[in-house]
Amino acid sequence: MNTFNKLATCALMMLVLAASAFAQAPGPETTLANLTEGQGTIASSGNPQWDGYSELVLIPGASLMGATSTSTALYIGFTGGTEADIGNMVLYSTLRGNDAVIKATKVTLSGSSDPSIDLTSASVCPNGAPTATTPCIIRLDTVKAALSTLDDYYFVVYFTLDTNNEKIVGVGQSVEPGALSGFYLYGDQTRIGAKGAIATNENTDQPAFFLAYVANE
Amino acid sequence: MKTIYKLATLTLMMLAASLYGFSQKPPKASGPENLERGIIGPVTSNGSWSGYSTLALIPGAGLIPVTNTNTVLYIGFTAGAEADISNMVLYTTPRGSSTISTVTPITLGGISNPSIDLASATVCPIIEISAVNPCIVRLDPVKLTLSALSDYYFVVYFTASDPNNSAIGLTDPSFGQSSLRGTYITGNETTLGVGGSIPSSLSFAGQPYNLMYVMND
Repeated sequence: MNTFNKLATCALMMLVLAASAFAQAPGPETTLANLTEGQGTIASSGNPQWDGYSELVLIPGASLMGATSTSTALYIGFTGGTEADIGNMVLYSTLRGNDAVIKATKVTLSGSSDPSIDLTSASVCPNGAPTATTPCIIRLDTVKAALSTLDDYYFVVYFTLDTNNEKIVGVGQSVEPGALSGFYLYGDQTRIGAKGAIATNENTDQPAFFLAYVANE
Repeated sequence: MKTIYKLATLTLMMLAASLYGFSQKPPKASGPENLERGIIGPVTSNGSWSGYSTLALIPGAGLIPVTNTNTVLYIGFTAGAEADISNMVLYTTPRGSSTISTVTPITLGGISNPSIDLASATVCPIIEISAVNPCIVRLDPVKLTLSALSDYYFVVYFTASDPNNSAIGLTDPSFGQSSLRGTYITGNETTLGVGGSIPSSLSFAGQPYNLMYVMND
C-alpha cells in the first residue's frame, strides 16, 4: 500500500506540474466574427428626419453564417448629427418567415435602453464629426443570446421626437446591404409584446439605415 | 509522511473521478446551420403548379463554410390542401456548367413522389397556411457534402392534370438577397441523367419558388 501511495503522490505532483505549465499558455482568444453579412459600404443618402420615427431591421435566420456564438453584438452607424436621442431599443424574435413576435429582448448602450449619444465626443466617435467618409460606428452592449437559424430577428430603434433627431443621419442606404434590410415607421415600434405582430414592411427590400453589422462581440 | 501519501492518493482519486464525470458530458448541442443564404424576408404566393417543374440553383459559390455531411432542403407552401409530387431530384454539375455529373434522389418520408397533406397540423403547424404563415416542410436529409466546386439544381415535378396541384401556392420570395436562384418550366425535368444538361433556355436570374433553405440538419 505504501508503494501505491508513493506512486499516487508522484502522479499527482506530475499532474500539478503539467497543469501549471498549461496554465501559463495563453487561452484561446475570441475572434470577432460576423454572424450575418453586414453593410458593405457606407452611404448617407435617403435618410428621413428621424425625430419620432422607428427603424426596423430584419436580421434573417436564413442568413446566419455558422459562427458559434452565445452572444450577439449590434453595431449602429451615424454619418451626420451631433446627438442621437434614443427612446428605446429592442430585438424581437419571430419564427423564420413569420411576423408574430415570440420574444422581445431589451437592447442597451452602456446599460441604458434610452441613451442619448453624443456624436461630437471623441470618445464616442474617434474619427471626428460623423460624415459619410468618417462614419461613427457604435457597438451596443452585447446581447447575451445566440441567434438561431430557425428564427428571424428585428432590431428596432425608436428616435425620440426632438430637434436633435431631426439632424441625425444613418449609414444607409448602402448599395451593398449584405443580408440586412430595413424600413421605418412613424411612432414607437419598440413596444410590441409577445404574440404581437411586426408591422408590414411596406418599403420592401431596402438597406438598413442605422444597423451596420451583426457580430459575435 | 504516510498521511501526506494518503491525502495525495485521495486527491488523485477525486481528480480522476471528476475528470471522468466531465468527460461524460455531451458536447454542447448546436442547432441546424445554413449551408447557403436562404430566402429572406416576407414571401408572396404563386399558384397553380400542376404539370410544372420548379428548378432551384444552389450555387457552390454561395456555400457558407460550415462542415456538413448531410444536406437538408426545406420547401415552402402558401396555399392548397395537398401537394402531389411526382419526383424530386438534386442534380450536381461542375461549377458554372450545365452538364449533370451526379443525380441524387430527394425524398420525403422515404419516397420521392410524396403527397404532402398541407391541411395537417403535423405537417403545417400553423393552419391555415398563407403567404404570411407559410408551411415549411423539411425534406429527408441527403448524405451529401456540398462542394464549393460544384453547383446543384434541386428540381421538383408537380404531378400533371392534378386538381390538388392546381390549388397549391408556392413561396415566392419578395426580397432579392438570397444566394439561391430559381425558375420553372412545364413538364417533368427530374428525369435527366448523368451527362444530360440543365436546359439552356432557363434563366436563373430570379429567386426560387418553393425551395427556401439549405441547411446541414
